[in-house]
Amino acid sequence: MTLELDQSDARAGKGQDAGDQSGSTPVGHLVINFFNVVIILPLVWVLLMSVKSLPDAMQGNFWPKRFDFTHYAYVFQRIATLPVNLFNSVYVTAATVLITAAIAVLAGYALVHIRPRGAGVVLAMLFVSLYFPVRVVSLISIYETQHWLGLINHTAGLILPYITLQLVISILVMRSMFQLVPHEIIESAKIDGAGHLRTLWEVGLPMVRNGLVVIFIVNFVAAWGEYLLGVTLIDDEAKRTMPVVLAAAQGGQGQWAWPNLAAVYVIVVTPGIIAFTFAQKLFFKGLLEGALKG
Amino acid sequence: MAQTVAARDADFETAESAGPLAQARKGFGEWAFLAPALIFFIGYQVWPIVRVLWLSFTDFQFLSDKPAHWIWFDNYAQALHDPLMWAGLWRAAYFTIMFLPGTIILPLLLAILIDRVSNPLTATVYRVILLIPAVIPSTLIFVLWKWMYNYQSGPINHLLVDTFGVFSLQNAPQWLGGTPLTLPSIAVMEVWWGLGYHTIFFLAGLAAIPQDLPDAARIDGASEWQVFWHVTRPQLAPIMMILVVLRFGTAMAVIDEYLIFGGFNRASPTYTWTIFMYDQAFKLGLWRQGYAAAISMIGAIAMMAVMVLLLRIFRPRG
Repeated sequence: MTLELDQSDARAGKGQDAGDQSGSTPVGHLVINFFNVVIILPLVWVLLMSVKSLPDAMQGNFWPKRFDFTHYAYVFQRIATLPVNLFNSVYVTAATVLITAAIAVLAGYALVHIRPRGAGVVLAMLFVSLYFPVRVVSLISIYETQHWLGLINHTAGLILPYITLQLVISILVMRSMFQLVPHEIIESAKIDGAGHLRTLWEVGLPMVRNGLVVIFIVNFVAAWGEYLLGVTLIDDEAKRTMPVVLAAAQGGQGQWAWPNLAAVYVIVVTPGIIAFTFAQKLFFKGLLEGALKG
Repeated sequence: MAQTVAARDADFETAESAGPLAQARKGFGEWAFLAPALIFFIGYQVWPIVRVLWLSFTDFQFLSDKPAHWIWFDNYAQALHDPLMWAGLWRAAYFTIMFLPGTIILPLLLAILIDRVSNPLTATVYRVILLIPAVIPSTLIFVLWKWMYNYQSGPINHLLVDTFGVFSLQNAPQWLGGTPLTLPSIAVMEVWWGLGYHTIFFLAGLAAIPQDLPDAARIDGASEWQVFWHVTRPQLAPIMMILVVLRFGTAMAVIDEYLIFGGFNRASPTYTWTIFMYDQAFKLGLWRQGYAAAISMIGAIAMMAVMVLLLRIFRPRG
């Protein structure tokens, strides 16, 4: 259902009525599918690894001789901190995504339809920051700030710096989305007596849905997998987020035997892929409308 | 559209009237929507950079009780005399040189091929598959490839040793862990990761090219290669420029991958300027953050210099 064809897509219409000499060739499909296989194979390998019996996992054959589906239950029962780590990641990511989206929508709307004096300077700064290695350079000072706020070793404290992970991109996406909303529509809503907040909520927001999908996904991906701040600002296994735990786990024997590790991996990576597959239509639309112009 | 705004709030109208107080309130109100964004942007991105710049001129050590002193450019002088600084910059550049062409050319090729797929369903399936890695969070990509490259039990070596027998268990390639293969291996992983995302980028660019341009060229008897080189490529130049410069920036400042794959072994090719900075700031001695700040500023300035150069080279002509 998610793969149904998309008529309003920017590609539609082109190539169909145009000359046939530009059509796809078997070689073209072959090349594309080669890369598709290269992309999917590692993921299938992990998926299979998570349901392999231990001897099969040691042997390294792609297709297991004997399946074993107990690893998923095992990792939750036997790895003491895992449910906590997972919960940490869930709430930090959820808070980050929601807050960043709200901030970006407000800012994007303001940059296009309110335009306070000096907004140009803000916009220029946002663009420049894209070209500066902010993440690396700011680390020392962010540690200091979090220390000053008493947020070192507090999982929830991660939300504050996480909001800025993709904040600039999110604002720029929302800005190009709001540029597609004609000024007249906003103006007429205001003449009807609606304030900015109301105009944004009732008129603007429904028109920038696709962009919202893009920034939800972009921020989810950023926060769900964040490592650098997570490993630097938190120094306590039970307070860590999933990416830090997974990156430190050495595959091998015992609780982190390969199939267990793979099971944890599948648990962590699947929600994002499923969400994306369902939202892909809106995502591509949003990407074409706004994200790729910034 | 306006009819969706059913309710009328006449109160809002009155605030529009002039008067200095109302004017000031209006100015404040105009910035209210931008305020949350600015608080976070300034608090966690602008201020930290200013603060790190400030720290880079001091002998600040995080774990030391003694007050920090202003020492002007001593940190910079010391860093520039430190062979690790130069090795760090060179290693980052070496990685970038390997990563950048692959991450531009392969997606461009794929985009051109997918652009020609006329069946919309097939085209959508292709794009969704290619974009899967882009929705896998960074660390999970690294963890996945840490297994792929694993010396003993990774599937790549399994394929090379057990399936094809190209190598034996003794001389199988050591992909990660500070060997000369480490940076190329990470570059391959990064290209894999960005393949779909960059392809979509180029597809958007291709969609913006008016179809009659390449058609006209074909009617004039241009070969497919000529169409690409003289029609498609110039049209894609702006997108390509943005991609080259942005990816140069991310590649030079890679840090998570090096922390995960290399750790703090100074001999490892993954010990770049970013790891050098991290090591000084959060690992060694009393956390010499003043010195680390100078290292990060040097790295950033070196990067920015090359980026300005790139912007000039790839600037659209005419």
